[in-house]
Amino acid sequence: MAAVELRGVRKAFGRTAVIHGIDLEIRDNEFMVFVGPSGCGKSTLLRLIAGLEDADGGDILIGGAEVNDVPPAGRGIAMVFQSYALYPHMSVYENMAFGLTLARTARHTVEDRVRAAARTLRIEDLLHRKPRELSGGQRQRVAIGRAIVREPRVFLFDEPLSNLDAALRVAMRIEIAELRRQIGATMVYVTHDQVEAMTLADRIAVLNAGRLEQVGTPMDLYHHPANTFVAGFLGSPRMNLLAATVTDVNGAAVTAALPGGGRVRIPVIADGVSAGDGVTLGVRPQHTVPAGDADAVLPGTVFVVERLGAETFCHVRLADGQAVVTQAAGDVRVAAGDPLAVGIAADTAHLFTGDGRALPRHRRHPLAEPPAPVTPAAAAPPPSR
Amino acid sequence: MKRLLFALLLAAIVFYTVFPFYWAIVSSLKSGSALFIVEAWPADPTLANYAAVFRGQPFGRSILNSLLVASGVVGVSLALAVTASYALGRVAFRGRSLLLLSILSVSMFPQVAVLSGLFELVRALGLYNSLWGLGLTYMIFTLPFTVWVLTTFMRELPRELEEAAIVDGATPWVIVTRIFLPLLGPALAATGLLAFITAWNEFLFALTFTLTDDRRTVPVAIALMSGASAFELPWGQVMAASVVVTVPLIALVLVFQRRIVSGLTAGAVKG
Ligand SMILES: Nc1ncnc2c1ncn2[C@@H]1O[C@H](COP(=O)(O)OP(=O)(O)OP(=O)(O)O)[C@@H](O)[C@H]1O
Ligand SMILES: [Mg+2]
Repeated sequence: MAAVELRGVRKAFGRTAVIHGIDLEIRDNEFMVFVGPSGCGKSTLLRLIAGLEDADGGDILIGGAEVNDVPPAGRGIAMVFQSYALYPHMSVYENMAFGLTLARTARHTVEDRVRAAARTLRIEDLLHRKPRELSGGQRQRVAIGRAIVREPRVFLFDEPLSNLDAALRVAMRIEIAELRRQIGATMVYVTHDQVEAMTLADRIAVLNAGRLEQVGTPMDLYHHPANTFVAGFLGSPRMNLLAATVTDVNGAAVTAALPGGGRVRIPVIADGVSAGDGVTLGVRPQHTVPAGDADAVLPGTVFVVERLGAETFCHVRLADGQAVVTQAAGDVRVAAGDPLAVGIAADTAHLFTGDGRALPRHRRHPLAEPPAPVTPAAAAPPPSR
Repeated sequence: MKRLLFALLLAAIVFYTVFPFYWAIVSSLKSGSALFIVEAWPADPTLANYAAVFRGQPFGRSILNSLLVASGVVGVSLALAVTASYALGRVAFRGRSLLLLSILSVSMFPQVAVLSGLFELVRALGLYNSLWGLGLTYMIFTLPFTVWVLTTFMRELPRELEEAAIVDGATPWVIVTRIFLPLLGPALAATGLLAFITAWNEFLFALTFTLTDDRRTVPVAIALMSGASAFELPWGQVMAASVVVTVPLIALVLVFQRRIVSGLTAGAVKG
C-alpha cells in the first residue's frame, strides 16, 4: 500500500517521444485505470512505474520515495501481464512461489502465502498443474495469484483480461472488483475496455498520444469531460459532436445556434467565448429526448436503425449533412427514411470551444464528485506554531 | 498409382541411405577372402574382425578419447553458447549484429585454412598431443553454430516471460539458468547432438594435433589401421571398427529423437 507519484515523466524510444511529461498522483489504496487509444503509451507508462523501462526525464515516487534507479524487484510492485507470462515448465505452485523463493523467504511462509492466495482465487485444486493444462481464465488467476503472494504495495495490470472471451471477461472483471475489496492495495490497471474502466476505477486517467487528457472519477469524466477527446472516448455509442455558433453570452448561460436553425441556452460559464465564435455542441445518444420535451431540436432523416433488443440506435442525417446518433427504446417504431427530430435537453448538453476545451457547467452532476482533496501530506505544509 | 510411385521413391531413398551401413555390417562379419564375394548375408558370419580391432591397437582407448573429447566439447560449447546467446539474443547493445555476423563468418573458413595457425597456437599452449588441444580446437567450429542456433531460439522466447522474472527479482543468471534453460531443452539437445557428431567424426585436427596411439581418436585410429603387410588394407576390421563407433551415435539420436524433432520445429511454429 503506497501512493505512486509521477512528476514530469518523459520517455522516448530512439527519437520518437512516447510519453511527453506526465504529472499524476495515484493515491494510496486507489484503483487507477489508464485508458486511451491504442499506441497512446498506456503500457509504456505502466512499465515505467514497474521499472521495466527507464524514464528519460522526471521522477517516479512510490510510497513517497524516489525509485528512479530502483530495479523492479525493489519497488514493491507486482505486475500481471496481458499474456499471463507464466513460467511454462513450472507448476502453478512453483510459478506463484518463484519470486518468494528468490527472495529467500522461509519455506513455510511461502507455502502459507501461496495456499492463501490460491484459496482467494479458487485455484487450490490446480496447484500441481502446469500452465499448459489450464484454461485461459485459470491461467489469468494464476498470474494474479503470483502477484498477490508477493504482497506488493502496488499492483500493476496490463490489459489482464483482453485475451479472454467476452463472458469470461465479465466474470473475471467482477472477481477483480471483489479481490480488490479483499486485499486493499494501490492498483494501476491498463485497459481499452470502457466497461472495465468505468466499473473498476476509483479514478480514470485518459491518455492520448503520450499526454494526460483528464484524470477523474468515472462519473466525473462521463458528465464533465474536459475536452472533446475525453467526451468522444468515454461512452458508447460515442457522444455526438456538432458544429454550432455562439449567438449570445451572459453570466448564466451561453446560447448557440444549431444546425437546422434551432437555438439552445446551455448553462455553462462562457470562459472566454463570445458571440459569433464557432463552438462544438456535445450530446450523448442517451441524453436525447423526445422533441416535445426538448429545449431545442435537430430535424433530420433516419438513415440507419440498429436494434439491440433493449434499446435502439437511430442514425439521423441532418440537413447540413452531419450525422447524429440517438438512443431510443427497444420497441420504438421507426424505420430508415423516416423524418426524425432529435431533441436536446440543455442541462445534459455540453459546449466545447473551437479548440476542443469544455466550457465548465454552473452545476456539477450530483454523481460526479468534485475531485477529492489531495492527500493531506502533499496538500499544504503543516500549520506552523 | 500415385501411392505406388511414392512407395517406390521411398524404397529407393531408404535403400540409398541404408545400403552403405548395411554393407559395412555385412563386410565386418566376413573374414579373409570372403570379403570379395558378393552376397546378401555372409555364408558363415564371424566376429573375428571385431576381436581383431581391439587386439591390433588400443581401440578401446581411442573410443574413450573420442568420448572424452566429444562430450567435453559439447558441455563447454553449450555452456558458453547459452550465456553468449542470452547476451546476443536478449540484450540490446551496440555492435550486436556485427558480432553475430563475425561469429558466423568464423565458421566459414575451411579447416585447412586455420590448420597451421592453430598448430602454432596448440604448440604455444603446450597442448600438442593432448586431448585438451583437440577439445580446444574443435570449439572453433562447434561454438559458432551452437551460438547461432541458440541465439535464434533465445530470441523466440517471449519478452514478457523475462520481464515477469525480473519483477520476481531474478538476476540475468537466474533468468538464464532457471527460466530459459529448461525452455531451451529441445534446442540444446539438437545442437548438442550435432556438436557431438561433428567432434566425434573430426579427422584433420585429430590427425595433426596428436602423435601417439594412446591419444588417437576413433576416426584417426581407423584410418591408420594396417593389416599384416603394408600393402594390405584390413577392410574387415575397418568395417567392424566403423560399426562399433557408429552404434553410439545412432543410440544417441534415437534417445534424443523426440526432443530433436520438437527442437527443430519449435522455432517455426508459435506454441
Ligand atoms: N520497445 C519499444 N521500442 C520502440 N517503440 C516502442 C516500444 N514500446 C512501445 N513503443 C511505441 O510506443 C508507443 C506507445 O506504446 P504502448 O505499448 O505504451 O501503447 P499502448 O497505449 O499500450 O497501446 P495498446 O493499447 O495497443 O497496448 C507506440 O507507438 C509504440 O510503437
Ligand atoms: Mg499496451
